[in-house]
Amino acid sequence: MTRQDVIQEIKTVIFNCFPDMEGQELTEDTVINTETAIDSMGFVLVICKLEALFDIKIPERQWAKLSTLGDVADAIMKRLPKA
Amino acid sequence: MRFDHFEDMLRHWAETTPDAPALRYGARTVSFSQLFETVQQRAALLRKSHKTCLGLLSDGSLDCVTELFAANIAGMQIVMLDENAPSVLLRQLIQYTDVDLLWGDEDLVEELSPALTQGVENGSGKILFFTSGTTERAKAVILTDHSLCQSAWNGSAKLPLAPEDTLLCLLPLGHVFGFVCGLLWGLSCCACVALGRGARHYIDDCAYYKPTTISVVPLLLGFLMKQKLLNQELKLILVGAGDCPPALLEAAAAMGIRVSFGYGLTETSSGVAISVKGDPYAMEICPDDTITLAEDGEILIEAPTCMMQGYYKRPESTAEVLINGVFHTGDLGRFDEEGKLHITGRKKDILVLSDGTKIFLPEYEAAIAKALGTNEIAVILQNNKPLLIYSGEANEQDLNKALLPLMTELPRGQRLGGIRIIEEPLPRTATGKIKRWELQQKG
Repeated sequence: MTRQDVIQEIKTVIFNCFPDMEGQELTEDTVINTETAIDSMGFVLVICKLEALFDIKIPERQWAKLSTLGDVADAIMKRLPKA
Repeated sequence: MRFDHFEDMLRHWAETTPDAPALRYGARTVSFSQLFETVQQRAALLRKSHKTCLGLLSDGSLDCVTELFAANIAGMQIVMLDENAPSVLLRQLIQYTDVDLLWGDEDLVEELSPALTQGVENGSGKILFFTSGTTERAKAVILTDHSLCQSAWNGSAKLPLAPEDTLLCLLPLGHVFGFVCGLLWGLSCCACVALGRGARHYIDDCAYYKPTTISVVPLLLGFLMKQKLLNQELKLILVGAGDCPPALLEAAAAMGIRVSFGYGLTETSSGVAISVKGDPYAMEICPDDTITLAEDGEILIEAPTCMMQGYYKRPESTAEVLINGVFHTGDLGRFDEEGKLHITGRKKDILVLSDGTKIFLPEYEAAIAKALGTNEIAVILQNNKPLLIYSGEANEQDLNKALLPLMTELPRGQRLGGIRIIEEPLPRTATGKIKRWELQQKG
């Protein structure tokens, strides 16, 4: 799975969790807190859904460091099994 | 029941109801007798270590709670640390509070160990909680197992739990509301406390443990309700540590769940007033406490059994707020005709967020101003999130980029929830202070 595929999956999860955001442009540089309607609890929901989707676990201590969509993608890529 | 110390509480239930479940954590359940025995054994080992101050990098687990009680019984000072806080801040806090032993995630303990100190004298019984501020202003509040036990009794006198109840503890134990109302409240009533399995399990802890009671902050309640995560066995929700929209409380009540609202501060070992029936915002004063209002409406609290000893190593800060045994809260309130307390606002430059944390605006705004290189900024609360108002030439993308390192260092709930760029200068008073209320009114 490529990084672009991962980013696309993140967007899909976000739009599923927050249907009001459907259509909003999200890029790697989108800052989750300031540029989306996702609050800290919403972020927990998104991460949990992504963990289930990719069958990975991102340690909770790392969550605080994930500020942008690209950060989330990096954290997922790092934990995906190598092809 | 009213207990003087943690040890008295654990011993009492171990002797009178030895087989009753005390704590659950995932598939593990321990009875009061098992808990007391384990705690005593661990306390004996800690005594032999000759360490004096335990920094607890709390993960809310069964082992964490056991360590906490054991260290207290062993006569150690305990410092409640947030394991998710940035390492640089944790190192500062360890040194500030004289920690000489750490408990927590092995890797984190190893990383932080070089910051350990020589320990402390006369720390016995003390438990230090940090005010939910940001960085430099974070102060350690000196509470004791005695004040915390009294606080738990104070709350349970108004809202008793039964031994058949299960209290789900979802909040961090490093937050005094989570500690007292998520843990001690249940144990002091001989109810079973189900320990939440971390933020990852917010989505399934209610279904897993089937609690009858939960204590939550407004943000978490909103999340649980929106995602329809509350279980049908739930009878009582205690909401505290932040402003809660009426719609949320009404929606919970409409589900047949009793909702109570609590008001208190870290400095008073948690709750001093609580709503029991009827209007959830109309709160009765807890039995050990006396609340009066200053001329300007500021809430003043006398809580002889629950009051903090002071801020750790900050006597000047203590003297500013604790005057002749009366705590000046900085909150504004009023009493209704029945003598019940209503919270009406804040006097200090503090934003109280719905996740129970606080932002000290002068410090927060100074950090943002430094990151952006301009003083033409202000922060207000909008939709329970901090909103940056910026007057200047930069665009939102550039502002976000400049603020990213600062925001990443902050707890997620305290990060900016949005940016508004305005063309006109910020409204200021004749003395140059920002007219925050004017910005807030504009929304």
